Amino acid sequence: MEIRISGVSKSYLAEGRTIKALDDVNLVIPANRIFTLLGPSGCGKTTLLRCIVGLETPDCGEIRIGDEIVWSKDANISVPPEKRGLGMVFQTYAIWPHMNVFDNVAYPLQVRGAAKDEVARRVAETLRFVQLEGFERRPATKLSGGQQQRVALARALVAAPKVILFDEPLSNLDAKLREETRKELRAFLGKLAITAVYVTHDRVEALALSDQIAVMRAGRIVETGTPQKIYFDADHRFVADFIGRANLVPARIVADEAGRTLAGRTLVDCGLGRIACQKRDLPVGGEATLCIRPEFIHLARGEAPAGPHAENVVSGRIESLVFVGEAYEAEIRAGDALLLARADPDAGLAEGDAVHFALAPDHCLLVAQ
Amino acid sequence: MANPRNKLTWSLIAVVGALTVFPVLMLMLGSFSEGLTAFGRFTTDKYVEAYTDPAFYEVLANTAVFVLGTSLLSTLLALFLAYLNTRTDIPFKGLFGVISIVPMMIPHLLFAVSWALLLNPSNGLVNLALKQAFGLDEAPFDIYSLWGMIFVEALLELPIAYLILAPAMASFDVALEESSRVCGAGTWRTLLRVTLPVLRPAILAAFTLGIVRSLASFAVPSMIGMPGRVQVLATHLYTMISTGFATDYGKAAAVGMSVLVASVTLIVVYRTLTAESEKFVTVSSRGFRPTLVELGRARMPLFGLVGLLSVALIVLPVAVLLYTSFVPYSMVPGARAFSLMGLRHWHAVLEDPITLLALKNSLFLAVAGATIGVALSVFVAYVIVKVKTRAAGLLESLSYLSFSFPGIVIGIGFMWFFVQTPLYATIWALLLGYIATYLPYGIRPMSSAFIQIHSHLEESSLVCGASPLVTLRRIIVPLLVPGIVAGWILLASMFVRELTLSVVLSRPGTEVLAIQILRYSEDGLWGRLSALGIVMILISTGLVVLATLIGNRFKITAA
Repeated sequence: MEIRISGVSKSYLAEGRTIKALDDVNLVIPANRIFTLLGPSGCGKTTLLRCIVGLETPDCGEIRIGDEIVWSKDANISVPPEKRGLGMVFQTYAIWPHMNVFDNVAYPLQVRGAAKDEVARRVAETLRFVQLEGFERRPATKLSGGQQQRVALARALVAAPKVILFDEPLSNLDAKLREETRKELRAFLGKLAITAVYVTHDRVEALALSDQIAVMRAGRIVETGTPQKIYFDADHRFVADFIGRANLVPARIVADEAGRTLAGRTLVDCGLGRIACQKRDLPVGGEATLCIRPEFIHLARGEAPAGPHAENVVSGRIESLVFVGEAYEAEIRAGDALLLARADPDAGLAEGDAVHFALAPDHCLLVAQ
Repeated sequence: MANPRNKLTWSLIAVVGALTVFPVLMLMLGSFSEGLTAFGRFTTDKYVEAYTDPAFYEVLANTAVFVLGTSLLSTLLALFLAYLNTRTDIPFKGLFGVISIVPMMIPHLLFAVSWALLLNPSNGLVNLALKQAFGLDEAPFDIYSLWGMIFVEALLELPIAYLILAPAMASFDVALEESSRVCGAGTWRTLLRVTLPVLRPAILAAFTLGIVRSLASFAVPSMIGMPGRVQVLATHLYTMISTGFATDYGKAAAVGMSVLVASVTLIVVYRTLTAESEKFVTVSSRGFRPTLVELGRARMPLFGLVGLLSVALIVLPVAVLLYTSFVPYSMVPGARAFSLMGLRHWHAVLEDPITLLALKNSLFLAVAGATIGVALSVFVAYVIVKVKTRAAGLLESLSYLSFSFPGIVIGIGFMWFFVQTPLYATIWALLLGYIATYLPYGIRPMSSAFIQIHSHLEESSLVCGASPLVTLRRIIVPLLVPGIVAGWILLASMFVRELTLSVVLSRPGTEVLAIQILRYSEDGLWGRLSALGIVMILISTGLVVLATLIGNRFKITAA
């Protein structure tokens, strides 16, 4: 079911100051996809989620779930959360400690007045789906973090909601369990035709789980797109920087030199010299930021060999080298820029060594300032 | 969602406001009136009369010595005990928990009586024994004096002061002390220059609360002060409204106003101080056990002192009452006393119709009062903790207001109101008064229970499709059960022994246990008094034990 949010704003009064948690948000969340709201803490992503589910009341605008308007300032519509028919997994899981697993999962069906055998059947079905068969009588407090997470998921799914919402559901798990649970969650959601709205500040989680990502900042949606688009082809400097580690170098667009054809490329001058980048419609002479991800800088030992084919080849010197386990992280001084790069542990590099590297134009991303 | 919550908040403000502000308004109106029957005509005569009475200034001086002496003594004792428990290697630390909790089960009235039975000048057991042993002509101790009052009241206030000081001392950041030691200061200098100054807000809070509580105390002044003709404000008020043929509620209201103002002011000071002490103390390095001061050779003598104190606080009062209830008249324990022991006082008490009525009334008030009080507290605490509007803040201030009301003063305020209504001299007047005055004691355990319930637990129920009412019934109330049980028992055990409000509101037919005990003491029927006192202690202790058991059973291990 599609969710349409138009013109939604929400401000708080905190310590005498007004804080704009949501600032005129317009967003369409497509049906039956995993849609992620990604952003740093305090960007308003959780507030937006809570507005969708009805636990928070916006100041203005309209929220539509499917064909139903669940909130509208102008039409004076406000459907309470219990009437919206959604499922939600809370950051704390909110497993009721005075109930066992069965009662927790059965709750949404019971409050809807489902028959007893129907409740038993659907709870069993859902628990099987989240691989918690045989845990029915277990007290909720006697579950591990991962199990609690699955009980919360089962409870959100059991009443077959149109939409399921996740508020940073993995942030309370330790790193290893988080990775496993993320894969499980992806598998569970993949099997269901359901609209999932997922809130996180973890970019890896967002990239791995989502069909679509909306990056938020200061109460606004900055950019929306597929994980690949957000990662490789972001339009905004903030998004490019937030979604992954990036070397950001100020650059100026220059015109093609006569005699050389650079089809589908935009040329810039920057601290690294003249670099051919992904095609962007930017005016010649304009300022932009060149964004290069560290994993696309492949270091080779020694100075760059001079020659006519040395397009996008940059020379530099290793300023520092830090071992981080699977690789070395090197800081390279190239021209007047300092770049972060990754080097294989067996590359045999040392601090002070001269290096060179070639940049593939497809991985040289130009973003607006 | 916002609308029904606002409605709830405002209706609670109306109810709690009526219960707390109303008696104060009536007290104020009453103080400017001629008398209970001449309500409505404005006059300042009562103020002039009350405050020009030369006896009033003696009462005031007595009161000042009494409350300051009591507070000082109880704070010093509590400080000493808290230090020994949290910071030294004194043995059997479990005893400190007992000292801080158990005395609360013994009603103040009976505690005062038991010390009067031990140390009164004519036939106090200790005095009799000492006279026999040393052939003295005069009793060496006279409990019926200002010093006797201070001694007994200080022992009664000790647990409260200890409960304020011990946690403050336990959460104290030891690094502050250690750095003082590293700087070259010894144990004593560190104690005086670092430990005590850092604890100052907590110490002042304990001291202030001691003043408020002893100002409102009626048990000790009536049991120990009145026989010795030492009047303090509480007994001064009591004399005005109960003795003689010329009861004067107008004058009592006029005096009561200044007691009330003093009490409210002190509570404001107290709350400021506790807020400050929390700010002071919470900066502690967690997980570090404070290094314990080794007491060395002083260890056993100091422990002996603590043991003696716990005997005086717990064993002695109960033992004296039990003993007195079995012997025919006051006599030193021995072979003769043992041979004369019998159940005659118990028979007399259990066959006395007024006593049985008092027992019935007290049990009714405990059960009904605690039930209604807790039900009201659940809603008030919900609004205070979960609804964070300005109106909720108003409700919070309103509901904690009666915490600072001295029972006898607020009783006089209620009296001015009840006289105008058919509630006068009925059990319902007592019920209303009890709930209004003790509401904060019901709200406190409930608020802490609500604070522990994460808002997600409630919200997820809403998202699951449950209405707010279903959410209240199936999620919130079950999680509140431990708090509800604790609050119910606390209120019930307070109502079983209630004295200060009852002395004003109780009338023939609406006697309660404490009033009956007071009557027995006025008639010098110590044997019957003791027997009834034991019954009261049994009920009260039974409730506390029950609370602990139920509380443990419902304890939910946090996820």
